[in-house]
Amino acid sequence: MSEPLLRTEGLTRHFKVGRLFAKQALHAVDDVNFEIGRGEIVALVGESGSGKSTIARLLARVYKPTRGEIYFEGRPLSSLRSRKDRLAYCSDIPMVFQDPYSSINPAYRVTHGIRRALRLHRGDLGAARRRQETERVLAEVGLVPSATVAAKFPHELSGGQRQRVGFAQALAFSPKLILADEPVSMLDVSIRIGLLNLMSELREREGVSFLYITHDVASARYIADRVLVMYAGHLVEEGPVEDVIQRPKHPYTQLLLSAVPDPRAPLGLSDAADVGEPPKVVNPQPGCRFRPRCPYAIAECETVTPLLRPLGPGRLAACHVAEADVGEPAA
Amino acid sequence: MTLPSVADSVEPVGATVGSGPPGESTRRRAGADVFRSLTRNRKALVGLGLLLGFAVLALIPGQIAPDDPRAKVYPRGLGPSLHHLFGTTAYGEDVFSQLVWGTRQSLLIAVLVGGLATLIAVLVGVSAGYLGGTSDGILSLITDVILVIPIFPLIIVIAAYERNSGFLTLVIVLGVLGWSYGARQLRSQTLSLRRRDFLEAARVRGERKSYIIVNEILPTMTSLIVASFLGAAVYAVLFAAGLQFIGLGDPNSQSWGTMLYWAQNNEALGAGMPYWAIMPGVCVALLGAAFALVNYAFDEISNPALRLRRLEHKGAQELPSAPPAQVAADTENLLQVRGLTVAYASDAGPVVAVDNVDLDLKRGEFLGIVGESGCGKSTLLYAIARLLGAPLAGEITSGQVLFKGRDMVSLTDKQLRHIRWREYSVVMQSAMNALNPVLTVEAQMRDALEAHSDMTKREMRERSKEALRLVSIDPVHLLSYPHQLSGGMRQRAMIAMALLFTPDLIIMDEPTSALDVVAQRSLMMQIKELQERLGFAVIFVTHDMSLVSHFSDRLLVMYAAQVAEYGKTRQLFDHPLHPYTQGLLEAFPSIRGEKVRLTGIPGQPPDLLRPPSGCRFAARCPLANERCTAAPPLYEVDGELVRCVLYEREREAVAAT
Repeated sequence: MSEPLLRTEGLTRHFKVGRLFAKQALHAVDDVNFEIGRGEIVALVGESGSGKSTIARLLARVYKPTRGEIYFEGRPLSSLRSRKDRLAYCSDIPMVFQDPYSSINPAYRVTHGIRRALRLHRGDLGAARRRQETERVLAEVGLVPSATVAAKFPHELSGGQRQRVGFAQALAFSPKLILADEPVSMLDVSIRIGLLNLMSELREREGVSFLYITHDVASARYIADRVLVMYAGHLVEEGPVEDVIQRPKHPYTQLLLSAVPDPRAPLGLSDAADVGEPPKVVNPQPGCRFRPRCPYAIAECETVTPLLRPLGPGRLAACHVAEADVGEPAA
Repeated sequence: MTLPSVADSVEPVGATVGSGPPGESTRRRAGADVFRSLTRNRKALVGLGLLLGFAVLALIPGQIAPDDPRAKVYPRGLGPSLHHLFGTTAYGEDVFSQLVWGTRQSLLIAVLVGGLATLIAVLVGVSAGYLGGTSDGILSLITDVILVIPIFPLIIVIAAYERNSGFLTLVIVLGVLGWSYGARQLRSQTLSLRRRDFLEAARVRGERKSYIIVNEILPTMTSLIVASFLGAAVYAVLFAAGLQFIGLGDPNSQSWGTMLYWAQNNEALGAGMPYWAIMPGVCVALLGAAFALVNYAFDEISNPALRLRRLEHKGAQELPSAPPAQVAADTENLLQVRGLTVAYASDAGPVVAVDNVDLDLKRGEFLGIVGESGCGKSTLLYAIARLLGAPLAGEITSGQVLFKGRDMVSLTDKQLRHIRWREYSVVMQSAMNALNPVLTVEAQMRDALEAHSDMTKREMRERSKEALRLVSIDPVHLLSYPHQLSGGMRQRAMIAMALLFTPDLIIMDEPTSALDVVAQRSLMMQIKELQERLGFAVIFVTHDMSLVSHFSDRLLVMYAAQVAEYGKTRQLFDHPLHPYTQGLLEAFPSIRGEKVRLTGIPGQPPDLLRPPSGCRFAARCPLANERCTAAPPLYEVDGELVRCVLYEREREAVAAT
C-alpha cells in the first residue's frame, strides 16, 4: 500500500504538572497510531480532556511529542530543520479553531489572517494576485460578496461567518490537510450544518483531507469517512464511521452513542445516568483507563492495558472484552 | 460574574449582525468610530479642549503673552490689573507671562515622560506576559520592586544629587521610575491574550515571535497603551511640579513648579501676590485633570460596559399596546407572563429583545425555550427573574410577570429578596463564572442560606450536605473550591445551590452547554429525576432543541424576540408547524436512520434594531410568499400557537398582536 498522507507512530505527549518538588506527568496522549489518507475526512471523537485537541496541536507543531513520530507524506516531522521546511509544513496543514470569537484578531480586518498566510507561504504572489486570491478563498467558503466581506472587522460578522473566515484562512495556504478543532461546537445548531456541508464541499472541490475533532458523534457520522474514538489519552476504537456507529465495539463508544440527544428516537428514560467523569491521567498504572466506568470490566482490565486489535474489516478496538460480534447495543 | 454572559447573547443584535449597510452597524474599534465617540463624550470634549488650549499656549507663547517672562521691569508685587492680569512677582515679572511661557515645559515633561514610561512599560509588560517562565519571573520582580519603592523620596534623593543637570535628567528619572504600574496592567492583559486562539493561529501559521508581539498583540491593546501613556503623563505633571516646588531641578527654568518655588520663597500668599502662588497650582491641576479626563473617556469608549445607557421613553411608547388583562391569580399556573416586552438601550436607539411574549407555567412543569443566540431567550429569562439592570441597561417596557399571583414587575428589590432563592432560583450558563473562585462550596452555600433564612450554623451545614447529596456529589466536596471540581460537578453544585430552599421554580440558562455529551446527558437525567421527586417547575433555555426533546413538557420556540411557536413538546417534534421550527428540526444530523443531506437554515436573524415590518423569518423562509409582508399574529392550531400566515385560514388569531 502506498504511503498515506499522514501517519503517526506511537505519538505520545505528557505535560508536567504539580509543584516544584512533586512534579508529575499528565498523560494527555499515549502511544497513538493512526493514518489519514488523501482526500479523507477522519473524525476524532472524545470528551474534553481526552487528548483530542492535544493531537491536533501535536500535528500543528504547537507542541513537540514526548515520544513517537509524525510522518507527513512519508517524511518524519523531526527531520524538518530549516525555517523553510517548517513553513512548508505549516502551509500543508493549517488549523481551524473552536472559538470563532477568539480566533480572529479583533484589531484587524477579517482578511488579516488570509493575507498573512499568502505573504508567508505564497510569497511569489504580487499584491494584485493576493487580493484576488483573498477574494477567491472568501467566495469559496460562501462569504459573498467577498469584496464587501473583506472590508469588515471581525465584530461585524456573526459567529458562523467568522468560522467561515477561519476556513478561508486555512484555504489560503492551499493545504493538503485541515485540522478542524471542534469548528462548530460553539455555533448555533441552525448554522452548524452549513459549515459541515462546507467541509465536505471543500473536500470534493479542493481534494483536501480533514481531521475533524468533535464530541458530537452525529456530526462525525454526517461528514466523516472514518472515526477515531479517544478516551483518556488512548485511542480506544477505530473504523469506518457507519460501521462504528451501528456496531460500536468498545463500551466507551457505546456510552458516547447512548448519550447523543436524539428527538427522532423513541421517548424513554431507560438509559442509566452515568455520573462518571473521564479521568485526568496522572502517572498512570497499567490497566484499562475506562475500567471504573465500564459495565463489562473483568479482572484482566485491572492490570493489563488493552491494545488496539483488529475486530473486523477496518475495525480496531482496545478492549479485552469486546469481540467481533458481542457488545452490540440492545437497540 | 454572571452578567457578561447575557451581554454576549444580547450584543449580536446590534453589533455583529453584518447584514445592514456598512457604517450603520455599531462598530466599536474602527478608528473613525473611536473618533466619533470621542466627539460625543463630554469628558473627552472637556479634556481634549483643555489639552488643545495648553498646546496652543505651549506652541505660541509669544503671541499670547508678549511680555518677556524674565524681564524684571515692572513695579514689584502689583495686584491684578488689565495690563498685568495676575499681577507681578516680588521681582517685578509679569505672572501671566510666566504662566504662559511655563506651559511649554510642563507639557513637554508630560509628553516625554509619558512616552518614555509607556515605551518601557510596553517592552517589559508585553515581553513578560508573552514569554512567560523565567523571563516573566525576572521582569515581574523588577516591576514589583519599582512599584513598591516609595518613589517620591527616591526621586528627591536622585534629583538632589543631580541638582544642576536640569530638564533632561528630570524626564529620564521620572520616566524610568514611572513605568511599573502600566507594565503590570499590560502584562496581565498579555497573559489573558496569550491563550487566545488568534495568537495560536499566528503560531500555527508560522509567524515569528517578534511579529506576534508587535503585530498581533500590541494592536489589540491600543486602549491600554493609551491609558498607560495618559496615566504616566498625569503623574509626570504632578511630580515635576512637586519637585520644582521644593527647589529641586533648575530654579531658573520657565515652569509652573519653579514659579511655585519662588512664590513660596517670597511668601507670595501673605504678601499680597496671591495669584503668583495660586495660578501655577491651578494650571497644574487643570493639565492633570485634562489628561485624566481623556483617559476616563477613552476607557469608557473602549469598554462599553462602563457606560450606563438609559432607555429613552417617548410619550407614544408609554401607551400599553394591549390593556393588561387582569389575570386572575389561579392556583394551577405557577407563572403567567402577559405581553412581556423588554428593550435594551443602544447607541443607535432602543432594541426590543423580547416582544410581547405570553406564556404559562404550571406547577411542576418543564418548559423548554429554544432559539438562536440573540433571539432574546436569555433576556426573557432574565426579565422573568427580574435580573435585568445595570450594566445591561435592559428594561421591561410593558407586560406582567405573575409568579404565584404576584406581579414580579412591580415588586421592589426588598420584596424580591424575600422570594428570590426561596421560591425561585436561577442556574447560570457557566458555573465556572457563576461560582466564586476564592470561596469553598460550603462558604457560598452558607452565604445564600444566611441571606435568605435564619438557620443556625449547624442547620446550614446539614442543609448544604443534603443539597449536595441530592445532585450525587459527595458532601466532602463542601470544602472544595470550584476549580477543584470538574465541569459537570460544578454545574451540579450550581443546581444544588438552587435547590437549597426547594423552590417552586428553577430557571436554567443553558446549564449544559459547556459540557460534553455524556456529562450533558447525565445532568439532564439528574434534573428530570429531581424535578419529578421534588416537584419544582423548570424553565430551561437552550439553543439545542434535541437536548430538551425528552425532558420538557412544553416548548416555546423564539425567533427574533417573538414567540414563533408554542406547544406540547411531543406534538411540536412530531408535527412542527412553523417553517422555522421545521428548519431547526432538520438542522442537526442523527446517528440513526438513513444518512441524508441536510441544509440547516441559511442566513441569519434580522437586526433587532430595525426589524422587518412583516414576518421576521420571511428572509430565511423557504415557503415565504407575498402575504409575509404583513406581520403575522399568533394562530391557534390544534392547541398550539404558531406565528405564520400558512395557518391563517385554519384558525382565528388568538391575539391581535
